[in-house]
Amino acid sequence: MSTASTRITTVERLREYLYLAMQLEHATIPPYLTALYSLKPGTNSDAYHVIRVVAVEEMLHLTLDANMLNAIGGSPDLTAPSFVPDYPAFLPDGETDFQVSRQRFSREAMQNILEIERPKQTPSEQHRLVRRSAPKAQQLAVVPGEPSMQYYSIGEFYAEIGRGFRYLHKEMGDALFRGDPARQVGKEYFYSGGGELTTVTDLDSAEVAIRLISEQGEGYGGRIYDEHRELAHYYRFEQLLLGRYYLDGDQPGQPTGPALSVDWDAVYPIKQDARLADYPAGSELRDAAVAFNRAYADFLGLLTKAFTGQPELLIEAVTGMFRLRDLMIQLIRNPIPGLDGVNAAPTFEMAAAAVVSS
Amino acid sequence: MTTRLERFLAFSADATAFTRFELQGTGQAREYLDTVVRIAGDTIVDRLLDLHLHAKAVAAASGNSAIMEHLLRRDVLSDPRLGPVARNIVKMWFVGIWYELPREWTEAFGAREGDVTFVVSGTAYAEGLLWRAIGANPPGAKAPGYGSWALPPHIPALAAH
Repeated sequence: MSTASTRITTVERLREYLYLAMQLEHATIPPYLTALYSLKPGTNSDAYHVIRVVAVEEMLHLTLDANMLNAIGGSPDLTAPSFVPDYPAFLPDGETDFQVSRQRFSREAMQNILEIERPKQTPSEQHRLVRRSAPKAQQLAVVPGEPSMQYYSIGEFYAEIGRGFRYLHKEMGDALFRGDPARQVGKEYFYSGGGELTTVTDLDSAEVAIRLISEQGEGYGGRIYDEHRELAHYYRFEQLLLGRYYLDGDQPGQPTGPALSVDWDAVYPIKQDARLADYPAGSELRDAAVAFNRAYADFLGLLTKAFTGQPELLIEAVTGMFRLRDLMIQLIRNPIPGLDGVNAAPTFEMAAAAVVSS
Repeated sequence: MTTRLERFLAFSADATAFTRFELQGTGQAREYLDTVVRIAGDTIVDRLLDLHLHAKAVAAASGNSAIMEHLLRRDVLSDPRLGPVARNIVKMWFVGIWYELPREWTEAFGAREGDVTFVVSGTAYAEGLLWRAIGANPPGAKAPGYGSWALPPHIPALAAH
């Protein structure tokens, strides 16, 4: 297997990687929000806050990727047909890949999310890429143009992006950063708990952005806390399974902070990876699920505008998220007619939304 | 066979002009039904829901949907025993509060245990239809996001009858 061909040596290839990175970051959001809003109100506040903060940080990563893509003259389009994956989607986990589903909060769902965030460094250079014997349509973190080759982990995928930036900057100098600085989304348009949004205009700021994404997601170099004393996502979710909070200085797998309580039963029994076809045609439920998909498509359209020259629209897009939250919660509380004791969920089927609204 | 919860949702949809989907979306249906049954009792609740089903059936048979509203007003809302209970159901949906039944009601039909004004559950206030009806978030809950106050409210279309 030749690794040379997968090196990023052109600006076009780096743009492809950054677009795939945006797709990857976004792909975590429907599963995280589905688990989050399946929690019954008034219960599970520890779990609610852990998942919510991480979901917001995934949106930060999405925006950082957009800044990097814009910095090198690319153009993010979140409305492209395959931007939102069909679920279940497949993410790399070392030698094998695993399935990411939209499902209710449960031990299995948290294990699934841990797989997404797992820190995994390749044992050696030639293991950086793994050939998937049966490439699946919804495989994420694949090599652009080589769908059968998937990165060993998301961390390795971002490591290649960092290498690409350094390689191209060496070749081209600052001409690499030819994008319009007006397209950069600055922190005045994004408020969140952890991590700061940085604009990307040169190699240093690109490396800052990549480091922030890697540290928040998987931790960095085996450490569970980053330099800002922020706990990496993997360990935050692990707290829910271990029933205890981490403290700075703790070893992985052995949190020593206060106990936290999880009520695994205080959850709406939603259908996993629900689709519109699961809801009876003509039902109020079906109509509401279609309306949600259209609203989500509009939201992605607004984000695309915010990422292509109108960063002030991000404020409006975020208020749109809050309305989407209310629509998602409504769906999750509604039983599916004809299925005893199984509730609905948002389906995130963007292709269907496009067909309906065109 | 229709469960009492389904009949309660059908009555509530006609009485509030919100859809069953929206009513279920509040997550409060079971709690509101349990509350009215606990305080007003099975007989009154079943009578009220039966009259609603009957009004719906008559309207459907005649092909004139306005008849249902007329029958509901005449047989349920104007009935001294059922009317205050029906109005209490509507109030629960809109503001999440069970209001103590009027004195005339308790004098005529007897005081009921637990019949005091109270917020039905910890989530009932935030889930009140009132907020949806005016396109606002319940103050202190369901944060609408920074700067949302500069945008026009989103007022949902009323459910068609």
